Amino acid sequence: MDFSTFTQTLANAIVSGSIYSTVAVGLALGFGVMKMANFAHGEFFMLGAYVVFLLYGEADLPFPVAVLAAFPIVALIGVIVERLIFRPTRGNVLAGFMATAGLAFMLQVLVGQIWGVGLPKSVPTPYMGAAQIGGAFIGWQRLLVVPAAAAMVFALWFFLYRVKAGKALRACAQDPEVAALQGISISRVTMLAMFIAGGYAGVAGALMAPIQPVTPYMGHDVIVTAFIIVIVGGMESIGGSVLAAFILGTIHTFVTTLVDGVTATMAGVALMALILIVKPEGLLGRTRA
Amino acid sequence: MLLEVRNIAVHYRKTAAVKDVSISVADGTIVTLIGNNGAGKTTTLRAITGWKHPSSGEITFDGQRIEKRLPEQINKLGIAHVPEGRRVFAQMTVMENMEMGAYLRRDTAGVRKDMEMVFHHFPILEERQRQLAGTLSGGQQQMVAMGRALMSNPRLIVMDEPSLGLSPIMCQEIARIIRQIHEQGKTIILVEQNARLALSLADRAYVLDTGSVLLEGPSEDLKSNEAVKQAYLGG
Repeated sequence: MDFSTFTQTLANAIVSGSIYSTVAVGLALGFGVMKMANFAHGEFFMLGAYVVFLLYGEADLPFPVAVLAAFPIVALIGVIVERLIFRPTRGNVLAGFMATAGLAFMLQVLVGQIWGVGLPKSVPTPYMGAAQIGGAFIGWQRLLVVPAAAAMVFALWFFLYRVKAGKALRACAQDPEVAALQGISISRVTMLAMFIAGGYAGVAGALMAPIQPVTPYMGHDVIVTAFIIVIVGGMESIGGSVLAAFILGTIHTFVTTLVDGVTATMAGVALMALILIVKPEGLLGRTRA
Repeated sequence: MLLEVRNIAVHYRKTAAVKDVSISVADGTIVTLIGNNGAGKTTTLRAITGWKHPSSGEITFDGQRIEKRLPEQINKLGIAHVPEGRRVFAQMTVMENMEMGAYLRRDTAGVRKDMEMVFHHFPILEERQRQLAGTLSGGQQQMVAMGRALMSNPRLIVMDEPSLGLSPIMCQEIARIIRQIHEQGKTIILVEQNARLALSLADRAYVLDTGSVLLEGPSEDLKSNEAVKQAYLGG
């Protein structure tokens, strides 16, 4: 691997780490507050990409408007499915699994029925050209993902650690019963967590829409990687998810470049297995008292 | 009466943890519930703060029926719960734990005043305010749990086993603070395994046994009751 290939791959790794961070923090948040693994989280990513396809690709709205619109639209979908589908299964792990996995298939089929399953939707690239960094060319479109993801992760951190409602969300994730005794409404916190999780996955998908093929099934790869990240990072840990996203993004991108994509996925799963053996609570996870 | 619990029964699935408990708590008093493990003390407290809804019976607080309300509504009415095993938010700082205690309050000035009051009761918490609550000692965590309850400016505080697992010196310290809190006009319901400590603090006591009230009366009377001495005060 020569130097320019290395920098090119490193840049791709940073881009993929960034996008995985925004997807995984939402998944970790949902897991923390609802103790539920949301298998439909990848479909929120897919829906975000479709928002850009429709608003930017079809309706010709400016790209930033379409990306920003993905937040409230997918967030709202998150809140609705939580209320209608997830909440009745609360406290039942198996029912929760069925509900979220079932929802994932429903959303795939629904989107396929409306907009077709054949050729991927092509979304024109809003920002052409590339930046030249250390001998590598990185498309502006890809580069844009990095500050956007950084801003989103920072905003989430600020919310969770500096805003009262965000602190209540953390309290709820740590001990919902005692949080309720402090006057915190579990239902409202759950709604808030789903709003953020949906919105973040939606924006991540929206940012990736011009970069990767938009299909009803694009959430599938995302969810597998996101779960590995969340497990490696320590289930409910936001910081752990971000760290693991970059580790996994780096491994995945480099192995893909040096070997191939299938080996890269295997390397990711192997890493997860290794972490689970050495540190079962994850990189930044905590053991429960 | 500030709080009236009338003939409540509480079930976990089909098992009755509380079969028939009635308690009266006058404003400004300390009432204690004593009894062995499984007597229904914790469950009675949980019924009062909405953590576990009774399957029958009534609970009236300050003239309002509360047995069907949610914990967050009961907190707003002025009842705070210091849970068994402390249950501090371990991954949050001492200060954040206090903020969560005052979650529903909008009176910033009042919250600041209560924060000062809590730090007056527990000077160590002021020193440790930026530390994660989970890193504190058991006694300090108990102080966090009590401080958190005080931060909602409650009229009634229910405390579940505040002395559990603490050293004898720390138990005395907690007892001293309970007295202080009481002197500031708070009404307290205290559940304790340490019956001697509980009876020395309380005005009135209830002895619970397998989900029912076995005995009740002024603490002084129960202290000299032969059966209580035998069963709970070690002869």
